[in-house]
Amino acid sequence: MSEEVAAATTLPATAAETSPDNPWPLQLLSQKLKMHIDRAPSAWVEGQVIELNRRGTNAYLTLRDIDAEISLPASAWTKVLDRQEIPLERGSRVVALLKAEFWLKTGRLNMSVKDIRPVGLGDLLARIERLRHALAAEGLFSDARKKRLPLLPHRIGLITGRNSDAKKDVLRNAALRWPAVEFEIREVAVQGNTAVAQVIAALRELDAHPEVDVIVIARGGGALEDLLPFSSEELIRAVSGASTPVVSAIGHEADRPILDDVADLRASTPTDAAKRIVPDVVEELARVRQARDQLRRGVTRLVEREADRLASLRSRPVLASPEVMVSSRHDDVERLKGRAQAAVTTAVVRAADQLAHLKAQVRALSPQKTLDRGYAVVQLADGHPAPGTRRDVVRHPDQAPSGTPLTVRVAGGRFTAESTGGQEPAEE
Amino acid sequence: MTAETKPNADIEALSYEEAREQLVGIVTRLETGGASLEESLALWERGEALAKRCEQWLEGARKRLAAARDQPSQAG
Repeated sequence: MSEEVAAATTLPATAAETSPDNPWPLQLLSQKLKMHIDRAPSAWVEGQVIELNRRGTNAYLTLRDIDAEISLPASAWTKVLDRQEIPLERGSRVVALLKAEFWLKTGRLNMSVKDIRPVGLGDLLARIERLRHALAAEGLFSDARKKRLPLLPHRIGLITGRNSDAKKDVLRNAALRWPAVEFEIREVAVQGNTAVAQVIAALRELDAHPEVDVIVIARGGGALEDLLPFSSEELIRAVSGASTPVVSAIGHEADRPILDDVADLRASTPTDAAKRIVPDVVEELARVRQARDQLRRGVTRLVEREADRLASLRSRPVLASPEVMVSSRHDDVERLKGRAQAAVTTAVVRAADQLAHLKAQVRALSPQKTLDRGYAVVQLADGHPAPGTRRDVVRHPDQAPSGTPLTVRVAGGRFTAESTGGQEPAEE
Repeated sequence: MTAETKPNADIEALSYEEAREQLVGIVTRLETGGASLEESLALWERGEALAKRCEQWLEGARKRLAAARDQPSQAG
């Protein structure tokens, strides 16, 4: 029942131009609203039926968002509902084609369900796989994005259900390996429509916590619907954007929520997670002790080796027996002495030789041989001549007239004589 | 011979490696020979001082190791 609005008018053209002194008539507002709302297209939405009341040909239901606390009342013809083979009931997860409708007279807004179908398990699984592929294609699961876990975390952030077995498993198994381990625990809903919001809030809190350097999201096993929050796109993106490494420990080995793919480490169960985030302290202590022993041995070896080298240096003769520097020079001097002596001795011997040689020569030159042959040397003997003066040798009888004192030297010695003057003819 | 102790006063400040290197140098010089008697004496005295310094270093190292050995649970 729409009425045309007159084009020529004193009325304000837009809502912004209205004022207390220049208002619109109410119907204009209602008409404009209706125009807008009628133009709004219908949309397929996914939600959960939380209320369902049939009254004759009409049915009134309340739909709620899967992960948020936002709901919407809607109405449908019962025949629309009954098109489905599987009857819809409270709690059903559905997809519905909704169209907003505005009743002009009463100003009532109504969401009309034009079509509605339940979402089956198969549909859910298919939807999850499609999402998984899409996110993988974006690169959210690549190894390059995976962060390494700290070997010995300062504090472990744990997001888990209230009083759950999962929480107990993680805490107990971690403490077995490392008694001093510290946890920062956030208990949240781990299924149902509040789960996604609460897990994301806890994740953001722990990511911002300065001491928490690894976060574990753990819950025990459950039906597929129960684990759905851990395949929610919003949660996956939140985990992908966290700067702290995240460990996924959801359900059992066979469960594969998308959280497993985006997490930096996937543990098959909460117990498995505890074993992988914390080192076995006894083992680590043993390794540290071993390393210390090796270190000590290495350093001791080094010191001993240096001590040996020093000892060998010190045992070198130049250091150990420095008197060599004196004794070697002493030997030098002795040797030189010897050479000097030898040289002198040689010179003396040579001189002696020379002397003997000269003596022989002199002797050879002396008249003794002639005397030995029997000749005599007669010399004039005049009184007491000064020593060293030469006596005249008599060569001619005229030199020795009778009575001349003579000395005669013969081989055996000298004697005095006197000439008797008689001459004898010279020998022919 | 007081003039000889002065040049060896620097040995106190040497590290183990420095002292050992100098000691090796002195031994080599003495073994090569050619130094005067005066020099040889001075070299030998310095060599002895250097060797003593090296020994001090090594003794100190041994003591530190023994101390650490006796306190295994202290000091990370």
